[in-house]
Formats: sequence, C-alpha cells, structure tokens
Amino acid sequence: MAQGKPRVVIIGGGPGGGTAARYIANESKGAIDVTLIEPLKTFTTCFFSNLYVGGFRDYKSLTHNYDKVKKGGVKVVHSLATSIDRDKKQVVLAGGGKVPYDRLLVAPGIDIKFDSVPGYSEQAAEVMPHAWKPGAQTQLLVKKLNALKDGDQIVMIAPPNPFRCPPGPYERVSMFAHVLKKKGHTKSRIVILDPKPTFSKQGVFTEGWEKHYPGMIEWQDPKIHGGIKGVDAKTGEVKTDFTNYKPALVNVIPAQHAGKIARDAGLTNQTGYCPIDAASMKSTVDPNIFVVGDASIAGEMPKSAFSANSQAKVAAMVIRAELTQSRAFPARYANTCWSLIAPDDNIKVGASYEPVDGVIKASNAFVSQRNESADLRKQNYKESVDWYNGISADIFG
Amino acid sequence: MIFGLMAFSAQAGDVEYGRHLSSECAACHGAAKSDSAIPNIYGLGEAHLADVLKAYRAKALPNEAMQNIAGRLRDDDIAALAAYFATAKKPK
Repeated sequence: MAQGKPRVVIIGGGPGGGTAARYIANESKGAIDVTLIEPLKTFTTCFFSNLYVGGFRDYKSLTHNYDKVKKGGVKVVHSLATSIDRDKKQVVLAGGGKVPYDRLLVAPGIDIKFDSVPGYSEQAAEVMPHAWKPGAQTQLLVKKLNALKDGDQIVMIAPPNPFRCPPGPYERVSMFAHVLKKKGHTKSRIVILDPKPTFSKQGVFTEGWEKHYPGMIEWQDPKIHGGIKGVDAKTGEVKTDFTNYKPALVNVIPAQHAGKIARDAGLTNQTGYCPIDAASMKSTVDPNIFVVGDASIAGEMPKSAFSANSQAKVAAMVIRAELTQSRAFPARYANTCWSLIAPDDNIKVGASYEPVDGVIKASNAFVSQRNESADLRKQNYKESVDWYNGISADIFG
Repeated sequence: MIFGLMAFSAQAGDVEYGRHLSSECAACHGAAKSDSAIPNIYGLGEAHLADVLKAYRAKALPNEAMQNIAGRLRDDDIAALAAYFATAKKPK
C-alpha cells in the first residue's frame, strides 16, 4: 500500500458507485481517500424513468447532483474514465490525467449492444430510441410518444436475458398504454416483440393490461412472431419472421453488456458481464478491483438500482475492512422492484440474497399476485415513491 | 495484507453490527417523512422496533417486502438493529 491514506477510486456515479463512495467516505470517517469519477454533473435515474414516460413524474424530479456527495467527503472528478491500468493500479482519464488507487470499484452500468438487433445502430436510435440509459434517449422517447395520433401503432422490441431492470420493458408498455388511454386513443395498439418465452411478473402484468387497457397490448413470444428479423430506421419498418410492421413509434431495447471500461480492462467474461466473488463483489480476475451493479454477474440478483445499492454496501464494507481493518460481516443482499401498471396499481417483486457455494442465491422471494385489492396496489405505489426518495438519498445524499 | 470474511456472531444489542445491518433499511426508510407509506424508523424505541421486526418475521404483520427483509433476521440481528435505531439519526 502506498504512503498516506489508502485510496479508493470509484468509476461511475450511479446507484452502485454513488452508494459505495458515500458509504466508504462516511463510515471510514476520513481514514480513506475516496474519489468518484463520473463524467456527468447531474445524474438522471433510469429507475422511475418509466414514470416520466407515463407522465407521473417530471424529468427534473429524476435528476440529482453530486453536491451532497462532495459534502460527505468524496472527491468528485467530472471526467470520463477511459481506461484502467491494472498493473500500475491507476485510472486514466479522458484528458490524460491518472488517478492511482489501492482499491478500485467499477460501476459503469450497461452498454447497449446495438448490433444485437439487425439494422439497429447508435444512429438508428435517434429515430427508434432504446431509452434504456437515462438522459436524451428517454426524452426522445417521450417526445415521440406524445406526438402519436389515435390509431398509431407502437412496437417495442424487448431485450433477451440478462438485461437491466427485468420488469422495465413491461412497465414501460403499461405507461405507453396509460398515455394513449388518457388521450382517448382507443384505436392505437402496442405490440411487444419478445425474444423470451416468459417475462418478469408476467401474470400480474397481463392481468393488469386486460383490466386497464383491454385489447390494446399484444405480447408476442418467439413462437408467435417466429423471430425478430430486424429494423430499418430509414423506412421505419420492423420485421419478424411472419409480419412486417410500420409503426409510428418503435422502441428497440437491444441486448446489453457491461460498460466499455469494464470490458476493455478485461474484467468481463464470455457473457459480457463481470464475474465477482459472491461474498464481497470483488472481481474474480483482479483482487484490487470490485464490480457492482448492472455490470456484475450477481447470481440470482436482477440488474436493478436496488441491487446495485445493496451490492455497493457489501463492497464498501469489504473495502474498508481490507484497508482499515474495520469489522467485516457476512455479505447479505436484498432487492425489491416496484412496477406501475396504471394509476395507483403497482406490483412488486423481491427477495433476500446471500452467497451459497460461491453464487448469490435468492431466498424469501415474493411477487404480487393476481386479484389483489386496489388498496394493496395503491399502498405499493406509495411505497415505491417513498423508496425512490429513500434510495436517491442513499446514493446522492 | 491478508483478509478473510469470518463468520461473525454478534452479541445482543451490538450497536456497530446494528449500524452495519441498518444500511439495508436505509435504501427505503432513509428519507421517510411523517406522512410516508414507508415509516421513519430512526429514533424508534428499542423494544418497539424489535417487536415489529419479530412480527414481520413471523408474518404476523402484512407487507411482503418487510416479511422478506425480516425473514432472515436472527434474534441477535434484531437486537442489534433495535439498539442501533433507538439512538440513530436519519441520514443527512
């Protein structure tokens, strides 16, 4: 270890990185030098962005700054980390600057695999938004949604597993339908082309769609569409094995993999995500590096902000123990994901997680059931709003 | 340096252990207000919080998220959490 205070560097100021930075700085009480590298000065959360799509939240309410992170003793460097020099234990910044570390926590989230959908590209996303990373893409999707006329069709291409926010595509479709219904667009239809045979909270989503938006949403699994052949951003077409669609709005959510910096640093395996030790979130390829959040292979945990926040706390505890000999405790993780189907109709899924034989395994899993009372669903919604405030404060202060 | 995560058995009411466990609670309860669906638990009476957690663990109180969280808590986990939250202030 270098002279002076041990140095922890964190790449990525989202749910994983922000939480880790704050917990290490706060709990070590100045004994560890904590630097957070995040190019954006403000961070708009992907979680709850569907509520912006549905008109339940404004964009600003999902946007956070790093003022309180800085006040909490974290050095925030607003620069892009371009590479990791694992031999020299330093992070290289876009301007050429180098930030040395004793421990590095990598939380870059996901990158979109544009070529996983034939014809799709970064340019095509300007016409057919994915909106699966927060920011301009989400705003573009909302703009296009709000411009639709009655009778217009929406096609969503859902992603293959594993991907960020398993219930997310289906909550988003619910929000599309809510906006169309509210405008009286009774002739509009939404088609989901899914490469998966099943999806998260399927039973309760399907029940909710039939209840709130009868006949509006058609979900197609591979047996129905026969295979997604591709998209053409120039003509606006979406082709499956059986049908050619020319919808007014196309939302393409492609396959995903760990953020580029993790891939470039050799932290990923053949899955495109980063293998970790289940008891610590430590990379299995580099003992000085931890990976949390969507970029990691966290066993049975879904890729969610809740998971990232939970994993970051385990990593922060282990990093502190390694660098300052603070007490360490057995790793425990948790997750709950809330999804809004319609106003005051919110469903949830969750579980506890612990390392079992080297893999993060779920226990006490629960999921909302069909035929639940309206009161319970409304309570879920209120809970989700409180959770948003709680986790945002946990991440950003 | 050599480091290993050792199985740890906490004493009843171990505040430091409670503080560690409490990070799981903060994700939802950290910004609770008086009219929140997710209640504030910072400063809650020690015996009261222990009773509530045990009731969730026994599924005697409704809310699957809390039944899940409390489900894996041992008695010493609950004692540690109750001891910590009794004097803890809501995170700033």
